[in-house]
Amino acid sequence: MREAGRGRGSGRVIRWLGPGLVVSGVALAGLLGSGALAGASPSHQAARSQAAPSQAAGPPISYSLPPDSYVAPGKVLFEANCSSCHGTDAYGSDRAPNLVGVGAATVDFWVSTGRMPLAGSAIQAVRKPPRFTRTETLQIAAYVASLAPVTPNAPSIPAVSTSVAGQADGLDLFVLDCAACHTVTGAGDALADGYFAPSLHVATKTQVAEAIRTGPGNMPRFGPGELSDKQVADVVSYVTGVIQQPDNGGGLGIGGIGPVAEGFVALLVGIGGLMLIAFWLGERA
Amino acid sequence: MTTLGNRPARGLRQRGTQGNGKVKADPVEAGVRWLDVRLGVAKGGRVFLDKIFPDHWSFLLGEIALYSFVILIVTGIWLSLFFNASTAEVIYHGAYAPLRGVKVSAAYASTIDISFGVRSGMVIRQMHHWAADVVLGSIAVHMCRVFFTGAYRKPREANWIIGVTLLTLGLANGFIGYSLPDDLVSGTGIRLVFSFLLSMPVVGSYLGFFIFGGNYPGDGSLIPRFFILHVLVLPLVILGLITAHLTLLVRQKHTQFPGKGRTEHNVVGTPMYPAFIAKTTGYLFMIAGVLWALGGLVQINPIWQFGPYAPYKISYAVQPDWYMGWLDGALRIMPSWEFASFGHTIPFEVFLPAIVFPGICFGVFYAWPFLEAWLTGDRADHNLLDRPRDKPRRTALGAAALAFFFTLFSASSTDVLANFFQISLNSVLWFFRFATVLVPVVVFFVTWRLCLDLALTPHSGKRKRTNVVTRSATGEYATTPSDDRPGDGHHELEPTPVPVFIDVGDRAEPVGADLGSGVRRIPRR
Repeated sequence: MREAGRGRGSGRVIRWLGPGLVVSGVALAGLLGSGALAGASPSHQAARSQAAPSQAAGPPISYSLPPDSYVAPGKVLFEANCSSCHGTDAYGSDRAPNLVGVGAATVDFWVSTGRMPLAGSAIQAVRKPPRFTRTETLQIAAYVASLAPVTPNAPSIPAVSTSVAGQADGLDLFVLDCAACHTVTGAGDALADGYFAPSLHVATKTQVAEAIRTGPGNMPRFGPGELSDKQVADVVSYVTGVIQQPDNGGGLGIGGIGPVAEGFVALLVGIGGLMLIAFWLGERA
Repeated sequence: MTTLGNRPARGLRQRGTQGNGKVKADPVEAGVRWLDVRLGVAKGGRVFLDKIFPDHWSFLLGEIALYSFVILIVTGIWLSLFFNASTAEVIYHGAYAPLRGVKVSAAYASTIDISFGVRSGMVIRQMHHWAADVVLGSIAVHMCRVFFTGAYRKPREANWIIGVTLLTLGLANGFIGYSLPDDLVSGTGIRLVFSFLLSMPVVGSYLGFFIFGGNYPGDGSLIPRFFILHVLVLPLVILGLITAHLTLLVRQKHTQFPGKGRTEHNVVGTPMYPAFIAKTTGYLFMIAGVLWALGGLVQINPIWQFGPYAPYKISYAVQPDWYMGWLDGALRIMPSWEFASFGHTIPFEVFLPAIVFPGICFGVFYAWPFLEAWLTGDRADHNLLDRPRDKPRRTALGAAALAFFFTLFSASSTDVLANFFQISLNSVLWFFRFATVLVPVVVFFVTWRLCLDLALTPHSGKRKRTNVVTRSATGEYATTPSDDRPGDGHHELEPTPVPVFIDVGDRAEPVGADLGSGVRRIPRR
């Protein structure tokens, strides 16, 4: 009787080796995953520090107008594609705003991001593949810019040099001026009444600078009085260098939208997975 | 109980002295004997090894919470060796390049250093955070199991109250821990808490100034205070309450589902030793493995992407961790009402959802065992659990409450939902205002009806067996039901003889008398 009891007991323990192996497997996967990712992050850092400031001279942003020869073909393109809403002389209509005096950067931003021409009567124009080539876009911009003189409020097309820009200053300015709508990870978010702050993950350097300087749609305009060219370049550098290539040193980035995605993973993978394991264990006695 | 404090248990003595009284040289036994002679461990050890665990998977849900808490303590001790709980301003010069040269708090800098500068710091930090998310989730599912099966009824009201307290303290400590890194997103949460405190009539301003050390953001004493609460005070209280929770569990013994050989007066299941201890230890390692895998593979709370907190800065799309989502959702959908008269303003849009609402919720949680006894007039002892379908009103009410909290939880992500589905934020907000009221009502009646219908259809929970249609050579068709699929049906478990080295004295019923193929069972008292 005594020996039988003991024999049974050890038999049960042996049956428990199966789960034990699963444990080691899961733990090993975690170890390998963490090791691999931890190993990956220093290379991120190295790549980034190489891109950090070199002492190249030159202005952080140079503004330039397309050549005068672009004005005439731009007028043709404008009349064929834009004038039905913005009017033949770009003076606007009851459907679209007056474009005289908005400057080349505004036109370049809206056309190069594909927001113009509008696809339909949405509350807010959305980014889509641009309809025009780079040259055609610059031609339209050249035509609109030729209708009024260049002013700080109607800037020309900016070319940003991020070689002297500081990402730390960029982070500071970004959180101060941009994160309240675009979110601190640049994922974008909904605003009131169907408006939204778009994601910054696909914008080019020129487009970011154009948006800052011209204030498209609901976005406020940051003129030279608010942000210097150096500061704009700092923000551009942070957006294109850090926000668009985030350091996901901790593993899968799961969207960069914070606790909402994390909660789903915790509840579905964490609790759900552990409940499945409990279900599997509970059938074994 | 035959064991007295100063002599070894009869069982141990029997096993140790064989035949002519010669003592076998078993080092384990010698060690146990040494301890027992001095400390009398046999008595308590026997109660522990004899503890019977019913064989149903849902009884393991609480263990997720217990073992995740163990992981929290272990990883938390490790983190506290590197974390600097100070708001003193330092200039960051660590491994994360984009932040170099930025003025940050020491708390923030040390958290980034844990992530990037300390060996395996990222994994431990993320394990700690995932474990926090998981521990509260497991408390929630464990609480659901206890609620829907009626396990909180007399005599276990005290343990339900301890459980609700553990949930409350877990929420509080989770929120405080989330705030410690002093990053932009968690700082927004702290700012909200200050507003919650201010919204309280009469005491609000004093309380806020007292906790924060002055007007917001305070004199820098908040992070050190939160740190002591997070690593010392609350964990100690939680640990003490867990001990009480488990002591009561052993003292009162487990509940069990009704079944063959199971009555109000016995417990049928697996003893702690040898079977259950293997099961539960295995589960500990599996939980640790899952959390480790999450910590190593999935990024959580990347504070280096958020930047340091400054009171004049804010980010959009800021949510609390998921377990605070129901409160955040309540805050979001609340209309902006306020009371302003007699020289005082009470901001109902903050006071009601942030202070009154959770107060009511936890009040109902605490009072529920007594409320139910009062409503049903049932004041008897209950050791057998209810099947949820057999109690339609309780089950429907629980389902409605779950639906209510889940709707509020979803309302916490109004902006993310609006952006993801490209609909107006205002429409989403109004949708949730109605859904919070309507969804629980619909869920209540649907669940209630389902329970009533299920009660009328026996075996409705079982899976249907496949009908196999065969054709004979002569063209004749025949239909035969297939064999049981693996896992179908609950097979009664094999009986386990009581291990002889544990002296059970008068506590065991004879095994197998009326039980047939039952499992080991012991009387309750």
